[in-house]
Amino acid sequence: MPKIEVFRDALIRGIGAKKLTDAQLEELFPCAKAELDEPADADGIMKVELNDTNRPDLWSTAGLARQLRLYRGGDHPRYTFFSDSTVTRESGDRRIMVDPAVKAIRPWVVGFVMTGPPISEAVLKDLIQTQEKLTWNYGRKRRSIAMGLYRADLIQWPVHYRGVDPDATRFVPLQMDRELSMRQILTEHPKGQEYGHIVADLPLFPLLTDDRGDVLSFPPVINSAGLGAVQEGDTTLFVELTGSDLDSLLHAASIVACDVSDAGYTVEPVRVEYPEQTPYGKAITVPYYFQKPQSVAVTLVNRLLGVDLPASQMVDALKRMGITATEVTPAGGEKAILIRVPEYRNDFLHAVDVLEDVMIGRGMDSFEPEMPRDFTVGRLTELEQYRRRLRDLMVGLGFQEMIFNYLGSGRDYLDRMYPPEAREDAYSRAVQIANPMSENYEFVRPSVIASLMNAESVSAHAAYPHHVFAIGKVAERYEKDPSGTRTLTNLGFLSADRDEDFNIINSRISAILFHLGCEYTLRETRDPRFIAGRAAEITLAGGKAVAGVFGEVHPGTLERWGVQVPCTAGELNLEELLRQT
Amino acid sequence: MASETTLKSLHPLEVKTLLHYRSGDVFDAPQMQTDLDLVLGQCNQALSWLEAKGFVAEAERRTEISYERTALGAEYADTGTPVERILKALAAQGPLTLPALAQATALESRDVGSAYGQLSKVQILSMDESKQVSLEQPDAAPDAILRALLERAAAEPLREETLSEAERAVAQANGKKRGASSAIFRIIEHEVVRYQLSTSGAAIREELQKAGVTGDEIGRLTPEMLRDGSWKGKTFREYGVNAPTSRILPGRRNPYCEYLDSVKDKLTSLGFEEFDGPLVETEFWNSDALFMPQFHSARDIHDVYYVKEPQHIREIPEPYLSNVAAAHENGGQSGSRGWGYQFDRDFTRRLLLRSQGTVMSAKSLKDAAVPGKYFGILRCFRYDQVDATHLSDFYQTEGIVLGNEVNLRTLLGLLKMFAEELAGATEVRYVPGYFPFTEPSVEVHIKHPRLGWFELGGSGIFRPEVTKPMGIDVPVLAWGLGIDRMALMHLGLNDLRELFSSDIEQVRLRRKAG
Repeated sequence: MPKIEVFRDALIRGIGAKKLTDAQLEELFPCAKAELDEPADADGIMKVELNDTNRPDLWSTAGLARQLRLYRGGDHPRYTFFSDSTVTRESGDRRIMVDPAVKAIRPWVVGFVMTGPPISEAVLKDLIQTQEKLTWNYGRKRRSIAMGLYRADLIQWPVHYRGVDPDATRFVPLQMDRELSMRQILTEHPKGQEYGHIVADLPLFPLLTDDRGDVLSFPPVINSAGLGAVQEGDTTLFVELTGSDLDSLLHAASIVACDVSDAGYTVEPVRVEYPEQTPYGKAITVPYYFQKPQSVAVTLVNRLLGVDLPASQMVDALKRMGITATEVTPAGGEKAILIRVPEYRNDFLHAVDVLEDVMIGRGMDSFEPEMPRDFTVGRLTELEQYRRRLRDLMVGLGFQEMIFNYLGSGRDYLDRMYPPEAREDAYSRAVQIANPMSENYEFVRPSVIASLMNAESVSAHAAYPHHVFAIGKVAERYEKDPSGTRTLTNLGFLSADRDEDFNIINSRISAILFHLGCEYTLRETRDPRFIAGRAAEITLAGGKAVAGVFGEVHPGTLERWGVQVPCTAGELNLEELLRQT
Repeated sequence: MASETTLKSLHPLEVKTLLHYRSGDVFDAPQMQTDLDLVLGQCNQALSWLEAKGFVAEAERRTEISYERTALGAEYADTGTPVERILKALAAQGPLTLPALAQATALESRDVGSAYGQLSKVQILSMDESKQVSLEQPDAAPDAILRALLERAAAEPLREETLSEAERAVAQANGKKRGASSAIFRIIEHEVVRYQLSTSGAAIREELQKAGVTGDEIGRLTPEMLRDGSWKGKTFREYGVNAPTSRILPGRRNPYCEYLDSVKDKLTSLGFEEFDGPLVETEFWNSDALFMPQFHSARDIHDVYYVKEPQHIREIPEPYLSNVAAAHENGGQSGSRGWGYQFDRDFTRRLLLRSQGTVMSAKSLKDAAVPGKYFGILRCFRYDQVDATHLSDFYQTEGIVLGNEVNLRTLLGLLKMFAEELAGATEVRYVPGYFPFTEPSVEVHIKHPRLGWFELGGSGIFRPEVTKPMGIDVPVLAWGLGIDRMALMHLGLNDLRELFSSDIEQVRLRRKAG
C-alpha cells in the first residue's frame, strides 16, 4: 500500500477549504480510503497511506485533494486537453516517432508537455513522488511503467523512440560526468544496477532521442545529463512514459496530466506515431481518454447494498465521488446507471465496482447493520475434534501443551535431529523454501519432535521433569500427491528426566491409544533419531498403516542439541489414527 | 509467649528434643540417639532446625582426636614393625652387616639405618669394627607400646582420651594428618558440638508441655492405621496451613491455544463450520482464484515463500483453472471485462506456502452449501523480517457467508456481531477498505474496553470474478479478523514472537492476564 508525503497547505488549498484540522481531515479521508499516517512535520509535510492499489490517481497531493474536494461538494474539473476516439486535440510539431524495433523490447511510449509558471520545489517534489509511486507500485517497479521528465524547450521535435545497440550507443547519464555505453550504465550507474535487470537480456535497448539525436533517456533506467536534467525554475517540461501495457501508460499519463492541470499548468498534447495499428489507431494523441462507460443495474446495487434506493439517489452519490452518471433504461432491459469513468481512473472492471462508489458516496453511516437471518449449523472439522480429544489426554498425562512456529532452519530441523549418514535422506523428504529471507526460516518443519527438541534445548533452567507436547501441522515431500508434498497433523510429545526410558513412554503410548480406541501393534524401527532397539513404529490395520513412532532419543541427537538430560519422544499422525478408528 | 503458629511449625523430632532436655542440660547428636531412640541423621536434622529457629544454642565446641590404622599400620601389625623384624633377624641369624640385615628383613636400607640408629642409642644393638651388628639385649621389646596400639586399633580408631601419656606420644610420633599413607596412623580430628536449650527454647518447651504436645501425634495417616484402627484415641499433629508449599508441575493447555480454541468455539456457536487446508499451496489458489492479476505488485517474489522442490503442482483441477483464467483474461462468465492479459498457466501451478487465509475461503467455495457459513484459523507464511510485530508464520482468522439474502448491511451486521461477541467492543465504526477480491470492501474498527480503537478486520463481498469461476451464483461475504492483538492482551504479552515461545518455563508460568 503506497504511502505518500503531502504538503499540508497545498492539500488544504487543493481541497478548496480555508482551514481543516487533522481531525476534520481524518473524517474526510475514508472517501479516498486514505489514512493519516503521520501529522505534518516542521516543514508542513504530512504522511498519508492510500489503501486502494487500483486508485493510483490518489497517490499525489493533487489527486488526493481532488477526491476530497469533490466529496465535499466541489466542482468537477473540466479537462479539455483529452483526445478520444472521436476528438483529436492540436499537437503542433510535438510528435514521438516509434521505431518498429521497440515492439519486441518495450513496445509503448506516450507523453505530453506541461507549461506554466516556473516549477517550484513543492511542484517538483510532488511530480517526482508521483513518478516514483506510479512506476514503483502501479508500474511494477518500472517493468510495466517508467516515467521521465525533460526540459521541453531544449528538445528538437520530433522525439524518436528506438531500439539501439547497447554497446555502440553512448551518452552521459544523469548524476555522472562522463559518457558511458548503455551496457556500461547497467553495471556502473546506481540506477543501472537497480533497474538494469528489466532490459539486460534484450538484444536492443530502448532509447529516446530528439530529432538532432540528443539523448533524452534510456528508459526505464536513466535520463541523460543533458535534456533529462530537470530543475526548479523550468517552465516547460516534456513528460514521457514507456512500458509494456498501453492502457496502464495512457492511464498513468492521464493521472499526471490531470494533476499538473489542477496545479495550474497547461497541458499540451503530443502525438505518438506507431509503425502499425494500435487499439486506438496508428497515431495516438496523448493525453488520450480510452476508458469505456460502465453500467450497473439498479436492482443489483440495491440487492448488494441491502437497500432500496431510487436511481436518482445513486446518481447523486456517484456525483459526490466525482463520477458523472445517468439513468438509462435500454429497450427491453432493466433500469441501469451508466457512468462515465473519470479520466484519471481505470478501476471499473465490473458493474460491482460502481456500487462501492455509491456506498462511499452515500456514507457508511447510512447503512444500518442487519443480522444475517439464514440458519446454519456450526461445526468443527473432524480433525479438530480429534485434536481436542488427544490434547485432553495429553494434559491428563501431565504434559504441558506448546505451540511453535512452522518455519525453522535446516540445522535445527535436520542436522541436529539426524546423524550425518542419515541427513541426505532427511533433507530429501523436507519441504524447503526457494527464496528464504534467512536460513533461520528456510524449512517447513518436518516433525513436531524437532520443535520439541528445540524447546528442550533452551529450557535446561526449567524445573524437571519436563513433559511437553504440541499438536500441529508438519509438511513433507510426498510423491503420490499432485503437489508432490503433503501437510500432516501430528501430535508430538517429549519428556526429559533422569528416569525417562522406553518402558515409560511405551506405557504412555498404550494409555493414549487405549483411550482413542485404537488397536495397534508395535514394530521395532531403526530410526536414527532414537537408540536402536529402544524405538518402535505404531502400526494399525494389521501392520498395513504406520501411525507414529516413539522411543528413547539417541544420546547423539541429545548431544547435537546440547541437551544433557535423557529424553523420550514420540510423534503420532492424527489423520492416520482417525482413518483407522 | 510463642504463637500457635510456631508450635505447629515444629516437627515431631524438634518437639521430642525440646521436651526431653531441660534447661541447662548439655547434649549432642550421639547422645540424642540413645536418649530419644533416633538415628543419627534425625538427631542432626532436629538440631539444625532448632538451632536455626534459635531454640537451642551451642554450649561447647571441641576437637576430638583419634588415630586410625593405615594400610602400612595393618602391614606392620601382621609382619612386624621394622624394629621387631631387625631384632628377630639378629636373634635368629646372629650378627649381620647393615646391607645383609636389610636383605634378611626385606626392608629398605634407609629404614634399617634409622632403626639401627634408634636401637644403638639405647644400647640394644651395637656394631663392631667389621660393621657387624649384634644384638646386645635379647629380651628387649622397644616397640611394645606401638605393637599394643596397632592391635587395639584393628577394630576401630583409637580415641585420644583413652590413651596413656606414653601411648599418646607413640601414636603422635607415628601419625600424620595428611599424606598418612607413609605413616602408621592417620590422625583424625573431629569437631564435637554440644547444645543446650536457649531461653526461647526453654519457653517453647513450657508451651509444648502446656498444650500437651508430645511429638507422638499421628503425622501421615496410613492405610495400615485405617485397617487396624490404630488411629483411634490418638491425636493428629496439627500442621501449619501457611507453611510454604512445594511446586507441582501440572499438565496444562497452552494459553495461546486456549485462546484460539475459544475463538473457534465462539464462531461455531455463531453457526460457522470450520475449514482447513494444506500449508503448501499454488499460485492458483493463493492469488489467481482471488482475482489478483498475475502482474500485481503484491505478487512479487519478495512477498511469498516459494517451494524449492517440487516447483509445480502436476495440475490444477478443471473447470476451475479455465474459469479463473477466463476471468483474468476477459472476465469469462463473470460479467467483468477482466484484467486483459494472457493468463500464465504454468506460473499458476507454482508451489508456495499459503500467504493468506482467504485462500481457503476461495477454495471452500466450490463445495460450499447455500446458505452457508464457514471459517478457518489458518497458519499463513509471509516474507517478513521477524520482529515484535511481524512473524514469518502466524494465524489468520478468515471466513465466508453465502446466501441469497446477504448484502452490505448483513455484512455490517456480521462485523458488529464479531466486534461485540469476539472482541467485547463498546463501539464499532465501518470504513471503506480495499482488497483485490472484494467489492465493496469494508474495514471494521472497534473501540475495545482496554485496547482503545483499532482495526479488527477487513471484509467485503467477493467479486463475481472470484465466485463465478467456482460455480457460485449468490453473493458471498468474506471476512478476516486480526485477533493477535487481543491474544497478546489476553496473555499479558506485547511481543508476537512470545505467542510461539519455546521456553518451557515461560509457557508453564503463562496465564490469562486480568
